[in-house]
Amino acid sequence: MVNYIIRRFLILPFILFGVTVLVFSMIMMLGPYQRLSTYINDPAQLKGGDLDELVAKHGLDDPWYEQYGRWIGGVLQGDFGWSESAGQPVTEAIFSRFPATLELALFAVIPVVMGGIWLGVLSAVHHNQKFDHIIRIVSTVGWSFPTFVFGLMVLMVFYGMLGWFPPGRLGADAAAVVRSAEFIQYTGLNVLDGILNLEFSVVVDAFRHLIGPIVTLAIVWWSYILRITRSSMLETLRKDYIRTARAKGVAEKFVINKHARRNALIPVVTVAGPMVLGLLGGVVIVESVFGYRGIGQYAAQAAQQLDYSGILGVAMYFSFLLILINLIVDVSYAVIDPRIRLE
Amino acid sequence: MEWKEIFGRLLTNKLSLFGLIIILFFVLVAVFAPFLAPPRSPEDAYEIPRAGWQVEPQPPREGYPFGTAQGSYDIFYGMVWGTRTAFRIGIIVVGLSSFIGISIGTISAYYGGKIDEFFMRITDVFMSIPFLVAAMVLTTILGKGLDNVMIALVTFGWMSTARLMRSQVLEIKNEEFVQASIALGAKDHRIIFKHIIANCIFPVLIQAFMRMGSMVITASALSFLGVGAPEGYADWGQMITFARDWILGGQGSALKYWYTVVIPGAAIMFFSLSWNLLGDAFRDILDPKLK
Amino acid sequence: MNFLSKEALVEVKNLKTYFYTEEGVVKAVDGVDYEIYPGETLGIVGESGCGKSVTSLSIMRLVESPPGRIEAGEINFGGRDLTKITEKEMRKIRGNDISMIFQEPMTSLNPVYTVGDQIMEAIMLHKKVDRKEARRQAIDMLTKVGIPLPEQRVDEYPHQLSGGMRQRVMIAMALSCDPQLLIADEPTTALDVTIQAQILELMNSLKESYGMSIMMITHDLGVIAEVSDRVAVMYAGKVVEYTDVDTLFEDPKHPYTWGLMNSIPKLDKDVDRLEAIPGSVPSPLNFPEGCKFNTRCPLAEGKCFDEEPPLEEAAAGHKVRCWRYEDLEEIKKRGERIYEDRGVQK
Repeated sequence: MVNYIIRRFLILPFILFGVTVLVFSMIMMLGPYQRLSTYINDPAQLKGGDLDELVAKHGLDDPWYEQYGRWIGGVLQGDFGWSESAGQPVTEAIFSRFPATLELALFAVIPVVMGGIWLGVLSAVHHNQKFDHIIRIVSTVGWSFPTFVFGLMVLMVFYGMLGWFPPGRLGADAAAVVRSAEFIQYTGLNVLDGILNLEFSVVVDAFRHLIGPIVTLAIVWWSYILRITRSSMLETLRKDYIRTARAKGVAEKFVINKHARRNALIPVVTVAGPMVLGLLGGVVIVESVFGYRGIGQYAAQAAQQLDYSGILGVAMYFSFLLILINLIVDVSYAVIDPRIRLE
Repeated sequence: MEWKEIFGRLLTNKLSLFGLIIILFFVLVAVFAPFLAPPRSPEDAYEIPRAGWQVEPQPPREGYPFGTAQGSYDIFYGMVWGTRTAFRIGIIVVGLSSFIGISIGTISAYYGGKIDEFFMRITDVFMSIPFLVAAMVLTTILGKGLDNVMIALVTFGWMSTARLMRSQVLEIKNEEFVQASIALGAKDHRIIFKHIIANCIFPVLIQAFMRMGSMVITASALSFLGVGAPEGYADWGQMITFARDWILGGQGSALKYWYTVVIPGAAIMFFSLSWNLLGDAFRDILDPKLK
Repeated sequence: MNFLSKEALVEVKNLKTYFYTEEGVVKAVDGVDYEIYPGETLGIVGESGCGKSVTSLSIMRLVESPPGRIEAGEINFGGRDLTKITEKEMRKIRGNDISMIFQEPMTSLNPVYTVGDQIMEAIMLHKKVDRKEARRQAIDMLTKVGIPLPEQRVDEYPHQLSGGMRQRVMIAMALSCDPQLLIADEPTTALDVTIQAQILELMNSLKESYGMSIMMITHDLGVIAEVSDRVAVMYAGKVVEYTDVDTLFEDPKHPYTWGLMNSIPKLDKDVDRLEAIPGSVPSPLNFPEGCKFNTRCPLAEGKCFDEEPPLEEAAAGHKVRCWRYEDLEEIKKRGERIYEDRGVQK
C-alpha cells in the first residue's frame, strides 16, 4: 500500500504541472490585450494606462515559456489578476465566496451519499420487485433531469407559488443579524455560525435558502450514486463468498450488511472523484438559478461577461480542489481494500 | 449476441421500448421540421421568428401553441427546430469525442509502457478541471455560439471514453485469441481493428448512448448560462435563459410563465431520458446477470 | 461396513427441485432418493447439469428461490423433514450440523475479512463462546487442516493464501462446529492434481477423527474411487444407479455407468480403444419421453421411449434405473462392447 500511495504522491506534481500548462495554453489563445487582466491587479492601471505600454511592461509579447514562468510565479503567490466582473482581485473574489459554496456542497453531499447508498443497497436486495422498479425509474429520471430545469421548477413551485424557499443566501433580516457586531462568524457557514451564536433565526433562514439549491444539486448525484451502488451490490450478491456465508448459517441481514455491503462499496468509492467533479459543475448552475452568492455564480457571471481572469481563476482553484480530493479518494481506496493495502 | 436478437430484446423491454419511441418521436420532429414549423427562409431556419416586440412572455394561444418567450419568440418553432439542434450537438459531440477517446484508449492500452503512462497522465490532467467549468473557460475564450460550445465539449469530453476503452482493451489484450492472432503473424493494425475493437465496442457504445443525453444537457446548460447559443437561436437551452427572471418577477404569479420553462425543459429531459433508457436496456441485455 | 443395519443420517425421498425460468420449467432434480449413513462417504457422480449440485443445495435449502423451488419430497435429518422447517431453524443447522464446501476456493472466501474472522464467525454463530475462545478454536482448526504457522495465518486475508490453502481454510470453517455431515461440491476440481490428492486425504482423515459423513459431489470417477463408500450415479435429474463403490466399478449395471467406466483408461485393463458415449446430455427444457438416457443409449428400444424405468433393486444393495439391465449383463458376459468405437487409441 505504501508503494501505491507514494506513487500517487509522486505523480501529483506532474498532474498539477499539466493542469497549469493546459490552462495556460487556453490563456494563450487570447490576444495580449485580453490577457492583461490576468496579470494586473490594479484596475486603475487597466482603465487609465496605455495598453501597449502595459503589454510591453508585462512581457505579454515575449516567448511563451517566459510568460508561463511569470504567470506561474503569480499563481503560486495566489495572484490570478483582476476580475472585471467582480471588481476585485480574482483570488479575493473567490475566497470571499468560498464559505457559501462550501456550505452548499457539504449539505448536499451528505444526503447524496447516505441516501444514495442506502437506497442503492435496498434496491439491489429487493431486486426486480416493485420497490426496485420504482427506485430505478426515479433514479433514471433524476439522472436525466437537467439541473437548471429542475432548479427552475423548484423555484417556480416552492418560491413563486408557495414562498417557502426564497432565492439568495439569506433574507434581509437574517443578513442584518449576521452582519451585526455581536454575531461572530466562526466558519462563514451560516447554519453553523447561527448555531454557535445561538441565533436560531439565522439558522432557520439560512436553511430555508439552502433547501432549494441542495435538493436541486442532490437529485442528479443521488441518482448517480444510487445506480452505481445498486449495480455494484447486485454483482456482489452473486459472488461465491456470499453463498459461503449463507451456508455457514449467517442470517440474511448480516449477509447483506456485513458480507456484501463492504465489498459492494469499494467500487463506489472510486466514483467519488467523478462525483465531486460533477458537483463542482453543478454548483455553477444551481447557484446561478437560485441567485446564491457563491463561487459557482461568480463563475457564471465571469463567463457571461467575458471576464477571462475570473473564469480562469475559478478553473484553477477547482482543479486544485479536484486533484486533492482525488488523491484522498485514491488513498482511502487503498486503505479500504485489503487486497491493495497489503501489497 | 446477434444484432437481431439484441434488437428484439430492446423492443420487448418496456422501458427501452419507451425510450425508443421517444427517440423516434424526436427524430420525426427533426426530420419534418420544415413542415411542422415552416421557416421564413432556408438560411434563417434556426432563427426563431418573433410574434411581435413584446418583452413579456405570452401563454399558448391561437397560432402559437406553446406560447412565446421573452422577446416574443415563438416557443413552438424553437422546440421543433431545437430538436434538430439537439441531434446535431449530440451526434457531433459524442461522435467526435468518442472517436478521440477510442483512439487514445486503444493505442494506450495496446502499446502499453511509456505510451500508456503518457496518455493516461494527459487524461488525468484533462479530467482535473470540472467539465462544465472547463467548457465555460473555452467558450469564454473562443467566443459564444453553438459551434464553440461543441468544440469545448469535444475538447473536454473524450476522457471517460478513453479510460473505458483502455480498460476494455487491456482485458481483451491478454485473451487467447489475440495471442493466437499475433502468433499467426498478423500485422499490428489488423489485430487492433479486427479483434480488439470489435469485442470492446459494446460498453463504449452503451456509454455513447448515455452521453448523447448528458452532452445535450450540458450544451443546453451552457446556453442557459448565456455562453452558448445566441439569443433567438433555436436551441432548447437558450429558450430557457430568460425564464428565471420572469419566475422571480412576481410572487404568486410564478406559474403564469410555466410554459417558458416546462416545455423546453421537458424536451431536454425526455431527450436525455430516452437515451439513458436505451443505454440501460442495452446494458441489461448484454449482461443479463445484472438485470 | 454394513450400513444397512444402522439408521440413515440423512434420507432424501423423492426430492424434486424445479427452476421456473423465462424459457420454461427446468426439472433439475426430478424424483431423487438416496441415504447417507453415519460415518460413510456417499459419492454423487454425473456430468455437469445432471442435478448433483442442486440436490446438495436442496438439502441445505440454499437453492436460489426464485426461480428455484423444492417442489416435492422429503429430506429427513435428525428426526425432521428439512423441507418443512422454518428458515430460522434451518440456519441453526447450516454450518453447524450440516456444512458445505464449494468448488472455487479462490472466490469462496470474503476478500475483506481475515481468514480467522470468517472461521470465528461460524464458531460464534453456533456455539456460545466469546471472541477469545473462538479465536483459539479457529487457530486449532487451522492446525487440524494442516496449515503451517496458524497463529500467523489466522490474521491474514484470503488473497494472501494459495488455492490449496484456501480450500483448507474452507474445510476448517466447515468443520469448526463439528457437523455430522459435510457436503463437498467438487472441492478439488479447481485445484492442481497434487493438491487434489492432499485435500482428499485430509478430508478422509478428518472424517475418521470427527466421525462424520461426507457427501462427495464430483464428475471425476477417480475422486469417487478414492473416497467413496457408496455411490449414486445421476443423470438428467435422477439417480440411475446406486450401490457401493467396489460394485459400481466392477459390475456397473446401467448403460450410462458402463459408458462412463469404459471411457477412461484403466491400468489393469488392456483395451484397443476406449468407448465413448455419443451425443450429449439433453437440454433440461427438452427432456425426452420415457427414459431420459434414450437419446444416447445403444440399448434403447420400445419401452425405453415410452415409459420411464423405476429405480429397482437389481441385486442386494444395488439399484438400477433401466429396463434392459439384464440384457446388458448378457452382453458383458459375452465380452462385447455396446458403444461404437470412437475416441482415443491406446
